[in-house]
Amino acid sequence: MIASFRAENLKTRKRWANWILIGILLAWILLLTYLTLFLVVTLSPKSIQGPVPASVLKRRLFPENFVPTVLGASASIGAAIMLIFGALSTASEFGWLTVQTILIQKPTRATVLGGKLLALAAATLLVSVLMFAAAAVASYAAVTLDGSSSAWPSGEVMLQAFGALLLQLAVWTAFGAFLGIAFRSAAAAIGGGLTYLFVGEALLGSLLRNTPVVKEVLKFLPGINGGAINGAFPVTIRDTAASTQLVSAGRGVVTLLVYLVVFTVFSLLIFQRRDVGGS
Amino acid sequence: MAQTLAVETHGLTKRYSTGVLAVNNLDLRVRAGEVYGFLGPNGAGKTTTLRLLSGLLHPTSGTAIVAGAAPGTPASLARLGAMVETPAFYPYLSGRDNLRVVARYGSVPTSRIDPVLKLVDLTDRARYKFKTYSTGMKQRLGVAAALLKAPDLLILDEPTSGLDPQGTIEMRALIKELKQGGRTVLLSSHLLNEVELTCDRVGVIAKGKLVAEGTVDELRARSGGSALLIRATPLDQARRLLEALLKPDQVRVESGALLVSVDPSQAASINRRLVSDGVDVSELRVSEQSLEDVFLELTETPQSPHPNPPPQAGEGNGRPAGGGK
Repeated sequence: MIASFRAENLKTRKRWANWILIGILLAWILLLTYLTLFLVVTLSPKSIQGPVPASVLKRRLFPENFVPTVLGASASIGAAIMLIFGALSTASEFGWLTVQTILIQKPTRATVLGGKLLALAAATLLVSVLMFAAAAVASYAAVTLDGSSSAWPSGEVMLQAFGALLLQLAVWTAFGAFLGIAFRSAAAAIGGGLTYLFVGEALLGSLLRNTPVVKEVLKFLPGINGGAINGAFPVTIRDTAASTQLVSAGRGVVTLLVYLVVFTVFSLLIFQRRDVGGS
Repeated sequence: MAQTLAVETHGLTKRYSTGVLAVNNLDLRVRAGEVYGFLGPNGAGKTTTLRLLSGLLHPTSGTAIVAGAAPGTPASLARLGAMVETPAFYPYLSGRDNLRVVARYGSVPTSRIDPVLKLVDLTDRARYKFKTYSTGMKQRLGVAAALLKAPDLLILDEPTSGLDPQGTIEMRALIKELKQGGRTVLLSSHLLNEVELTCDRVGVIAKGKLVAEGTVDELRARSGGSALLIRATPLDQARRLLEALLKPDQVRVESGALLVSVDPSQAASINRRLVSDGVDVSELRVSEQSLEDVFLELTETPQSPHPNPPPQAGEGNGRPAGGGK
């Protein structure tokens, strides 16, 4: 497994597409999540006033709200990026036929996939750290530039938040990897995954959230459960439009762990049994 | 005396989920230390067989032992180097990095990379990305990857496919070199000339079944052996003479020459008879039946009614009608 992990790490590290994805994610957090909002609330004319005063709105970017802000990013752009990352990692092997080059080497199929999943886990850990660090730097910069003061969350909350971030990103990565193995096509895996994420979960989840039958189904979806975990962290400015969570944070954690195991096991089963090449 | 077998299959069968029977009850025996040519037209089941032997496909029925163990098991793969269908590597990695990846999967020391790059003459281009490689370089990198483990058994699927003439000659020389040291090479091809020049024994597969096996000479003998090619003037008079001298079905006209199915030792007496009867003989030589003829006969591909005289070994491209990958 270690040999496969080392091979996967080399491939992952040297693939530009992976670094571009990480760059997009960090740019989104720094530029869109922090910088744009900071500039809007700082530079907007005083005559234009929303329901929430700019001085209050700005506090969303400060360290006291660092955790909900970074977790909010993980639920949207973070999920999409990690889904693409996971799908590219597995589906490309089929597209380039490198899967057969790998499987002709010594390790078993389970070992090969185990190494790949370990490498994906390591990459997800790295992305989580980078997201956390980027958001922390941006929060610090925002409060410093504003000349205000804001307290950082406690170490315990930060640790829990990091765990929540890592778990959610890991689930979306595993989902992408599973789709890549199931479809054996990067386009189909990414297209299918993003459609599910943005249409299946996000759109239907908000439009039909209060329909009784749909509501029961939504309680089992990964995005809804991730949202429940994120909603459990304290925030000084609660979005008035934010809907109440359908499940508890505890159930959210358990559901996501189940998804992580299910995606991993299903990926292994398909990879183990499926013929490589031929028609 | 029983010979050690590098590959042994019993009733190996593969039917795809689409219903296509690609390999049908195949019994294959490749002896250790030989270069075995696996010959067949496109779609005959060669690549499917090699995928089964490499563990990439699961057989529908039958068994196989490859390098002493079941296909796809670590014990088998540890002694097997293979390039199946096309050399498949990561386009964004250099040739050397691709070999590093393969070496890591196979737990092979990276010190093996330089020697195999040198062997396939890719040392100078090793730092370039795979996507910039020519077809020939890709093929050679595929062979290099297959050799990283210093395998006892090497499986090469159409290794000269897409190569220019110079690349083809170099690849053939490399294959002969690879046989040194007792290594077994199982080589698939639809290029008859290639098999003829590189292989000790040949197995011919058609529609998923092994239809013939033996040395090239054995296969030729099985299909009628050699004949005499005679260019004479006037041709009709020469033909009538020979039909009277021999049996009519032993003489046929092909591309303005007579092809006479007799023992080549009769060449001198036939020449004397023709000349004494006033026939000018401008050419008389032994025409070995090419492997192409044997191949067409064995795989039941319909022959052209007026085929060209069979090329000698080393001539022509040896490609059967409708061939090409």
